[in-house]
Amino acid sequence: MATLDLINLTKQFGEVVAVNSINLNVGDGEFLCILGPSGCGKSTALRMVGGFEDPSAGDVRIDGQSVITLPANRRPTAMVFQKYTLWPHMRIYDNIAFGLRLRRLSTGEIDRAVQGALQLVGLPTYGKRYPGQLSGGEQQRVALARALVLEPKILLLDEPFSNLDALLRVRLREELRAIQRRVHITTIFVTHDQEEALSLADRIAVMHKGQVEQVDKASNIYASPRTLFVADFIGAMNLLPAICQAGLLQLGAHHLAAPPSLSAGSSVTIAIRPEDLALVAQSDSAPSDTWAGSVLQLMDLGHYRRAIVDVPTLGQLKVYLSKSVMLNEGDSVQLTPMRYLVYHAHEAPLEMQQQAGEGVMVYR
Amino acid sequence: MTPSETAEEQATEATRPKQTSVNLTLRAWLRVLCRESFGLVALLLLIVGILGPISTVFLWAFTERWRYPSLLPTEWGIKYWAQTLSRADIGSALPLSIMLSLVVTGLSALICLPAAYAFARMRFPGRQLLLLSFLVTNAFPRFGLYVSIAIVFFRLDLVGTVPGVILIQLINTLLLMIWIPTSAFQGVDRALEEAALDVGASRLRVFVQITLPMVLPALGAALLLTFVSTFYEAQGALLIGLPNVRTMPVLMYSLINNQVIVQYGAVISLVLWLPSFLLLAFVQRFLRGNAVTAGLGV
Amino acid sequence: MKKNFTRRGQNLSTLLGYLPGYLLVAPPVLLMLLLIFYPAAQSIVRTLFVANEGDGLRSFSLLRYTDFFNNRILLWNLWFTVWVTLLTVAGLFVLCMPLALYLRFSDSRIAAAVQVLSLFPLFVPGIILAFALIRFLGPHGTLDTLLQTIGFTSFRTPYLRPSGIIFALIWEGLPFTILVLTAGLRQVDNALIESARDVGAGDWQIFTRILLPLMQRSVLIAFCLNFIGVFGSYTIPYLLGPAAPQMMGVSMQQTYSEYQDKLGAETQAVITFLCCALIGVLYVRTVTRQRIGERN
Repeated sequence: MATLDLINLTKQFGEVVAVNSINLNVGDGEFLCILGPSGCGKSTALRMVGGFEDPSAGDVRIDGQSVITLPANRRPTAMVFQKYTLWPHMRIYDNIAFGLRLRRLSTGEIDRAVQGALQLVGLPTYGKRYPGQLSGGEQQRVALARALVLEPKILLLDEPFSNLDALLRVRLREELRAIQRRVHITTIFVTHDQEEALSLADRIAVMHKGQVEQVDKASNIYASPRTLFVADFIGAMNLLPAICQAGLLQLGAHHLAAPPSLSAGSSVTIAIRPEDLALVAQSDSAPSDTWAGSVLQLMDLGHYRRAIVDVPTLGQLKVYLSKSVMLNEGDSVQLTPMRYLVYHAHEAPLEMQQQAGEGVMVYR
Repeated sequence: MTPSETAEEQATEATRPKQTSVNLTLRAWLRVLCRESFGLVALLLLIVGILGPISTVFLWAFTERWRYPSLLPTEWGIKYWAQTLSRADIGSALPLSIMLSLVVTGLSALICLPAAYAFARMRFPGRQLLLLSFLVTNAFPRFGLYVSIAIVFFRLDLVGTVPGVILIQLINTLLLMIWIPTSAFQGVDRALEEAALDVGASRLRVFVQITLPMVLPALGAALLLTFVSTFYEAQGALLIGLPNVRTMPVLMYSLINNQVIVQYGAVISLVLWLPSFLLLAFVQRFLRGNAVTAGLGV
Repeated sequence: MKKNFTRRGQNLSTLLGYLPGYLLVAPPVLLMLLLIFYPAAQSIVRTLFVANEGDGLRSFSLLRYTDFFNNRILLWNLWFTVWVTLLTVAGLFVLCMPLALYLRFSDSRIAAAVQVLSLFPLFVPGIILAFALIRFLGPHGTLDTLLQTIGFTSFRTPYLRPSGIIFALIWEGLPFTILVLTAGLRQVDNALIESARDVGAGDWQIFTRILLPLMQRSVLIAFCLNFIGVFGSYTIPYLLGPAAPQMMGVSMQQTYSEYQDKLGAETQAVITFLCCALIGVLYVRTVTRQRIGERN
């Protein structure tokens, strides 16, 4: 139940800058995911919040007060680690009670707190067991209970589900979300799995090479990724280089309308979501420039189909199609982008849209 | 191990710390300072306590005269080296020791290595029990055991014979030569062998070209350890070997007790010690791994 | 009829399948049985069955043992051995535990040097150690000379004193104990320590409630093997210790060689077995028990 601010937080290991002056503000009760590939600095940033690494520069403030002079055992944060989280020589009850006992609470209070925590994570009868007797998912639930029982101000989770199998991950994700909402605790969740981030977070901070590339709601990040890295990292994306000439973007043998603010001669990258590539029926009322290609691969993914279309001079494009589209591998198709983002230098992308007309099938 | 703490030290020197980081740096630095000053004190004590006696031997070996209370030898020289090495008892003890160590190591390898392979890779009832039974030999106080064996040997007329000494020294080597190779064989990734089988290699070829090279370092270490520990084995050789079989360590007993000239003992100590140096260089890295302690049950 | 045949055939083939394994492990196992368990058993039997005066027949008798316990000198030796062992083992733990902790949590060059130095005694055989220590710690030895030059004149040499034995045995046991303790510490993952810190534990609490319990196995092994090793040692006590009292190893050797009393030496050997028996059982139990965390 507190706010968290990271101010110019930096961590250097010798020559390597693991976290490069990041700024984040997390609101009271918010669930923030730090998402990024391995080595991007997300775990290091989390560990600095928890007190397991000392920052090279910058500040960490909880409820407006700096905490970086506090060692890990005196910070109001609690962490769920990725693995080896429970002490194997203690029963579940003692694992959870450990922190409480350090605070010299009475046996009655401890008992109530532990039972409450076990109830919260759905393992009320597990007190007497040892961690070795629990499955991976159950162990992480106990780790969560152990963190929450101390009523910390900030809950930190470092890829807690990455060692579990896919189905379990989804289930535990939902349970975590429910618990977090119930307890209303400010939470930071670090992961490399974008599906996890997209489904759990109120907001996502995408990190890359020590820097935060974008912080926003999941839907905004998906719709308007601010940098090329985020565009490529979140969801599938077709990235095509192009040059701006005479008001048009020249890509290979094709061209698209250029944003008016773009100067001639600039080289840009165009990003098109697979679902934004529409199939155009073979008819005369087709839009001016359609891209002809042949279907290389077709994958049936349940509620939609994914195609890889080879367009000469452009390369292989990913296209999402609805189930009803009748296509086979080897067929010739015509594509046109309904919406695309233009990335130029390090500026925010410019969004362009085409009007859907007759004969244009758009995946929805 | 936390590389972050030492790297952090370097990093905080590299970047100019901002206002809020100053207190932080101090706290972290104090912690490291306390820890490392303990290390420094320990290091100094270890240097005096461990290198002190050793360097004393070195000094004595190169002394011609050393009168108390001088801190260093009054006269240096290597006169005693020639004298020591030409002694008759050294002349017979040194080759004997080397021969014994080689024979014992060879026999031990012959007996134990196939067994180690069987323990590691074959399944038969009682395997675990038999393997653990070797650890039980650790539970006997060594010299008491030697006395028991000496009495049995006495009745078998093995006392004072070379075979008797070989046998008693062989016992010492069993634990090492079973456990280190066993864990080495167990450590070979089956997937690597299966991949070789998959491309058509015969089982023998797989063993010679895949398995053996991977366990060779551990086996080499075990052999070296066995050789060196047998070379230095003093108690069994004393009990069983005397009066006919006198190995170098046994010689040292009398040199320490009955010899006025210190240099003889010092020179022999250095000569005896040479194989240890080789062992030190080769095995030191290996010792930091888990294979040796695994052999004791850790 | 056919069923019986195949079943018997199966049993036979599985048994034959085990045969190569048994054949390969037979040599060392037999060697161990013949050269360790058989002599030990022999000693126990021979000392418990004493020949009668008259007909020379053996009968069960505790005479050998009562003789031992009635002998004040021998009893003193036993008592001496026990407390030298306890002091040595205690000293080892007091020295090695902080060193092991330091080596686990420090990465500096000092730590690397400490590690190398602490392993050094492993490569110094007992005989040479005895010689070196006599020259170093003995009267007019280098330590004595060193202390004289800085003005410290009241140095009492531990040579031919119990303290000499204890110092030398601690010297000898240092690398092994550190190896075992650091191996045990290494098995405690950093995350387990960090999560304890996370819930508020201080250094001492982490040591007593997390590290020690998880290191239990290696602590027990270090204790047992050091105890048994020191109890049964000979070379160091013989060369560095007093003429009386003697440690059991020295006493046994004297009884055997100089007094030519084979049976007496054997009795003493069995007594050392007995004294170490409980510790030996503890060792075997610790080693065979499943490690913590492998409870599935």
